[in-house]
Amino acid sequence: MKTVAVTATLVGSEKPLDAGELARACGAEEAWVLQLVKVGIIEASGRPADWRFDSGALQRALAARSLQRDFDASLDAAALILDMSNEIRRLKTKLRVLGVDVNAI
Amino acid sequence: MEFKDYYAILGVERGASDDDIRHAYRKLARKYHPDVSKEADAEQRMRDVNEAYQVLKDAEKRAAYDNLAAGVSAGGDFRPPPGWDSGFEFRGASPGDDAAFSEFFSSLFGGRRRPGGAHMRARGEDHHAAIEIDLEDALHGAMRDISLRSIGHDERGQPRLQERTLNVRIPAGVREGQFIRLAGQGMPGMGGGENGDLYLEIRFKPHPRYRVEGRDLYMSLPVAPWEAMLGASVRAPTPGGPVDVTVPANSRNGRKLRLKGRGIPGDPAGDLYLVLEVVWPPADTEKARQAYRNLAQEVPFDPRRNLGD
Repeated sequence: MKTVAVTATLVGSEKPLDAGELARACGAEEAWVLQLVKVGIIEASGRPADWRFDSGALQRALAARSLQRDFDASLDAAALILDMSNEIRRLKTKLRVLGVDVNAI
Repeated sequence: MEFKDYYAILGVERGASDDDIRHAYRKLARKYHPDVSKEADAEQRMRDVNEAYQVLKDAEKRAAYDNLAAGVSAGGDFRPPPGWDSGFEFRGASPGDDAAFSEFFSSLFGGRRRPGGAHMRARGEDHHAAIEIDLEDALHGAMRDISLRSIGHDERGQPRLQERTLNVRIPAGVREGQFIRLAGQGMPGMGGGENGDLYLEIRFKPHPRYRVEGRDLYMSLPVAPWEAMLGASVRAPTPGGPVDVTVPANSRNGRKLRLKGRGIPGDPAGDLYLVLEVVWPPADTEKARQAYRNLAQEVPFDPRRNLGD
């Protein structure tokens, strides 16, 4: 088995994804990305051709995709679930930072 | 070699219908979702459940898996085809570093096959997966070999597992939840179309010393009561080597001391917070007990004076 050296780029402000790349990364069409922006799952401003997305947007888009596909969730329901999930993660991180064992409470 | 029984993981029969599989998955996904589950091994269970579902919900992957599974039950002595050892997973290839990429996210098997005939030109699908790295890799950057497993086809068109190893540079300054994009490492294109890309989501393994929030690191720094009350200079280990920090007088338990720019590198770099943890010497010798008695006598102090009657 051979080892292949590959070029890795970090998805971020220097190398963001455009709408087409974000759609492809999620196995979806560009129209779907427009819907995500419309319901507010990801944020973008300006014309769709100028939209740029970072890792956080990719994470939310992938999660929305799996909620749609695996749970038949509507995008509005997915948006609500993702917001709540984000808030839970934020609070858990805060607790961990304070040294609290999250699973013990 | 550990063989993963995907049917057992989802708690369904071998002949389960797609509906049964979907319902079983949804139930378990709620039970083990890391955001809500209290089960100690929820994350691992969720990974297994996801992995099982990604394979069993897809007719082609399920068929490939059933072929392998038949080899297990028929002979008892399972001889895996090349490229199949402990399930699907990433694995650190450098010696002594076996655990560096031990986590697997089955999303490699996710995504749909693009419709289209043989003469259609199509770009390959993008794939995504998660990898767990050490915090140190994010602090200093690292080169890692990762093995990826995917479904391919042999010359007779039968699905089979194939493995490949990629040598990937983890850039310094990467944060949890960020994605590394590997161009051309997704599904192969068809009819001369480009290959898809592979996106790897970064996760950090829990660190024995540091807790991470974004680019900032938090670390407990134990101090003696007199260091906290009188002020002191104490030596603290940091990712960049030990530093002497000044503990201000009258510091309370939980006070945070910020070391600017000593967190995860970047623009701007994160900070390192030392969270003071006042540790009292145990009163387990006569000398220590006498010292506490002296303190009680010399320092009038009522910690409950604000409680009222």
